[in-house]
Amino acid sequence: MRVLIKVASLLVVLGVSLCHAAPPVFALNIRDHLFYPSEITVPANLKIKLLIFNEDSTPEEFESYELNREKVILGGRKTVIFIGPLKPGVYPFFGEFNLSTAQGRIIVE
Amino acid sequence: MLLDIVVIVLRETLEASILIGVLLSIGRQEHIEIYWVFVALIVGGISAIVYALNLGVISELFDYFGQEIINALMQYLIYCVLVMIIAAQYMDAKFSNNLKGLMVVAVSLALTREGGELFVFFSGFFQSDESILSVMTGGFIGLAVGLSAGAIAYYSLAIYAGNRARTVHTVVLVFVAAGMVNQATQLLIQADWVTAGQPLWDSNRILPESSVFGQLVYAVFGYEATPSKVEFVTYICSFMLSVGVVLICRSRFDNNLSVSKS
Repeated sequence: MRVLIKVASLLVVLGVSLCHAAPPVFALNIRDHLFYPSEITVPANLKIKLLIFNEDSTPEEFESYELNREKVILGGRKTVIFIGPLKPGVYPFFGEFNLSTAQGRIIVE
Repeated sequence: MLLDIVVIVLRETLEASILIGVLLSIGRQEHIEIYWVFVALIVGGISAIVYALNLGVISELFDYFGQEIINALMQYLIYCVLVMIIAAQYMDAKFSNNLKGLMVVAVSLALTREGGELFVFFSGFFQSDESILSVMTGGFIGLAVGLSAGAIAYYSLAIYAGNRARTVHTVVLVFVAAGMVNQATQLLIQADWVTAGQPLWDSNRILPESSVFGQLVYAVFGYEATPSKVEFVTYICSFMLSVGVVLICRSRFDNNLSVSKS
């Protein structure tokens, strides 16, 4: 049910954002100190909006050297980060509070 | 797991620790009593806890960009305070009381953000099943390494004396201050308040940002391997502004330099 609501809201957000030619939106979930999905493919040379939901009860810090992004997300909260425009390539990111598990990549094509 | 905690604590304490080391060296050059550090640590510590406890509220301000905006504001403020500290070296001795206050403000601001993140991190840990001993041990080791970096910064600068010391301190602080502006601008780009554009160059092959040395240079001088045009421009402008202030202060207080600074 929660997943359904999230998917539905993501579709609504995507729909609304497409109508206004706003940056494409991608969702990222943090669950059990892991990123879901751990790989996201995004278009090149465009500003991208990342919606990050922290489903854990403990805080996490989304961070990436390659993307130059760093933000704390408290447990049970969500946040927004803008990335790009990016050249094609692979841009790793990680959860600084759980370095050994929370890792992912943004693939830009 | 222990190593993760060491790395996290080290990274958060590195920047503040080196800043304290540099300012302590300036304090020594200006013959300022050392107690300002303890005031700064207390004020910064309390401020960090207040920041951490209110992070939920802060994070949702400005359409979920409260963290970026508040942190950027703090970084820009630190820049202004550092420029004032640089200038104070070239002014009359009667400015040294102000100097203590300025150093307390600079360090407190730096500690607020980094200490706040550490507080959030540790409070998350105490909710989980991790052994408290390993968390505290890792934290202690990370802190010790971070503090040693500050000590190295202090002793590297304290070997200079007289006008040479002032020049060295000025050069270091001008770069540190420009680094603060760089970090602040990056946060505004993250919040989409400033448009980034494509990076001007990629120096990751010369000095990878993710390497140990790259991280160190990032923490202290705001090194950026892939800077965008706006970051480059604001860095140069803040650099030139600091240098301009120094040149103005030097020419205005030229007569007093050799008299009051011996």
